[in-house]
Amino acid sequence: MTMVTDPWPDTDLLLKVEDLTVEFPTDDGVVQAVRGVSYELRRGEILGIVGESGSGKSVSSLAVMGLLPKTAKISGSAKLQGRELLGLSDNELSKIRGNKIAMIFQDPLTSLNPVYTIGYQLSEAVLAHRDVTKKEAWDRAVELLDIVGIPNPETRANQYPHELSGGMRQRVVIAIAMANDPDVIIADEPTTALDVTVQAQVLEALRAAQQETGAAMVLITHDLGVVAGTVDRVCVMYAGKLVEQGTVDQVFYAPRMPYTLGLLGSLPRLDANRAHRLTPIVGTPPSLVNLPQGCPFSPRCPIVQQICIEQEPDLFPVGVDGQFAACHFHERLIGAKPVDLFPPVNIDEELVASFEAAAQAAEAELQGTEGTHEENL
Amino acid sequence: MPAFSIAPVLVYVLRRLVTTIPVLIAATFFTFILVDMAGDPLLELRFATPPVPDATIKAREEFLYLDRPTLERYWLWLTGIGDTRGDIGILQGKWGPSTQGAMDIGQEISERFMITLRLVGAATVFSLSLAVITGVISAVKQYSVVDNVLTFFGFLALAMPVFWLAALIKEAGIWANQNLGTNFATIGATSPLYYRMEGWDKFMDVVLHLVLPTLTLMLTGYAAISRYQRASMLEVLNSDYIRLARAKGLPNRVVMRRHALRTALIPVVTLAALTVSGALTGAVITETVFRWRGLGTFLTQAIAEYDAFAVMAFLVLAGVLVVLANLVADLLYGVLDPRIRYD
Repeated sequence: MTMVTDPWPDTDLLLKVEDLTVEFPTDDGVVQAVRGVSYELRRGEILGIVGESGSGKSVSSLAVMGLLPKTAKISGSAKLQGRELLGLSDNELSKIRGNKIAMIFQDPLTSLNPVYTIGYQLSEAVLAHRDVTKKEAWDRAVELLDIVGIPNPETRANQYPHELSGGMRQRVVIAIAMANDPDVIIADEPTTALDVTVQAQVLEALRAAQQETGAAMVLITHDLGVVAGTVDRVCVMYAGKLVEQGTVDQVFYAPRMPYTLGLLGSLPRLDANRAHRLTPIVGTPPSLVNLPQGCPFSPRCPIVQQICIEQEPDLFPVGVDGQFAACHFHERLIGAKPVDLFPPVNIDEELVASFEAAAQAAEAELQGTEGTHEENL
Repeated sequence: MPAFSIAPVLVYVLRRLVTTIPVLIAATFFTFILVDMAGDPLLELRFATPPVPDATIKAREEFLYLDRPTLERYWLWLTGIGDTRGDIGILQGKWGPSTQGAMDIGQEISERFMITLRLVGAATVFSLSLAVITGVISAVKQYSVVDNVLTFFGFLALAMPVFWLAALIKEAGIWANQNLGTNFATIGATSPLYYRMEGWDKFMDVVLHLVLPTLTLMLTGYAAISRYQRASMLEVLNSDYIRLARAKGLPNRVVMRRHALRTALIPVVTLAALTVSGALTGAVITETVFRWRGLGTFLTQAIAEYDAFAVMAFLVLAGVLVVLANLVADLLYGVLDPRIRYD
């Protein structure tokens, strides 16, 4: 046998995940958390992975980082600049983690060790991969705190995590992630645990981190609003698989998979008119133990057919270049709107009508008072 | 580095010590009442055959302050203020008269305390270190063969009463001496000829006498702490900050030592302080089985002789030790966990 060096001509391609599967053996059976996920991440790009809880978003990225418990069975491939990550020993991986590829976690309140100062935990990240003195590492820590927008970084570095707010702590975690100028940053629901008012600041810090390091980013979230405003390309995950992939515009304006349509339909929009009604997806995601054959979305799908129950669709290339959707009927969904597929919220029509009448009355009154106001002027 | 000032800690220590005063007073008061109710130390004297002259009994009563009401006796024991011979009053450092002949309670208890301290000290050090080590191994290798074996022995030691464990270990020691040529001593804290020994021999004599009782006392304390350490370590290992430490790229052993063990030790420190009181209790029984002339036998003998002031002496000593151990634990807690503040 000869050594086959993997050709990696595309220097812009940083992370290539191919057919990644993760299974957890449990007493109840094998949990198929991730079932064949493939995606590519290019330099400078922000890739969003969306999906509801338990769809395998976090597990797939933890698998790439080698941070899953030993019981997890991982197969497939995850190459970072041509180097296979899966199957590396923990020791070898620890040289890559935090250095080439960094991760930001969901809950900033528990992500930092309560017994060490912010500065210590930051300089620890620097010292893990760089041959610098403790003093230099500390200075770098203070500099990083400044970049992510923490006021008085010198003072803050000497404080313990419990002395900082949740938003500040998440910025510290972001600073830790960017400590060694990684090529890839994986952010796992970085804003989920935070107050809405703080979310924008943290997203701003993330953007600063990305610009500072030039890293590509994988942004895992279930917040479609965050995705729309931040990322370049989106992967939609359902039951451990990618069900739709494309640019933000493609996925948001021309979705070709009923689940994506359903997600968008359940998103409240400020730009739509008042009569716009949310269309929820009824039912719950399937259990990942003993998944039935066929499309995992079929029990909740409004356009389900016999073939959907028998055969799970692959990711078909659809429409314009670069969009993929896993639906047997993706061609039927061209130009479809959520309301075409999903019925609006099933509440009393009269109640809705009365609300609308009241809203119109209030609006009329408001215009009336404005009118009188102007007259008085 | 964070600014650290000693003043709040001193204030805290003082405040803690002051608050223990009512606790100790209440504890001594109730114990005194209970011991007093237990029986009349002169009962045997009163019904002796041939009868003892009334004058002798009266003299004994006066000697033991039994001619005073209970409350006055407690007051005298505590303060020594009042009509006394100057041999009573714990606050003045006087322990009171003993029913056991001419025994000087203060001198006796301090001699015996040194002996017991040897046992309790060795047992605490060994049980703590062993418990932390095996607890960590159990947690890191959760549900492995090693963990299961350690768990089995942990629960075995936890379930075993001290007197039974002591008897078994003593038997095992005797068997080893007879069949393996070992030299474990099974009776006493030192040989009868200890006072004639020199240097190394003296040390070895103490060590050989310590082995079996220490093992007994160690196992009783070990069981609970090792389970606690395992649980604490497991909780920390599953925490988000361990995952972040690994995500930083720290080598596994650094994550384990610096982030996991360091944090997992905090709750165990509290338990360690409690083991001091546990070890004192265990020492009473262990010393009885191994015939040590330590605090344990001092207490059992005092109870058997209705020696109220001797029992009180033990209680005060044990109480002060437990209070101090808890104070040390609370102070250590503050050193280990920056979230604790002394104000």
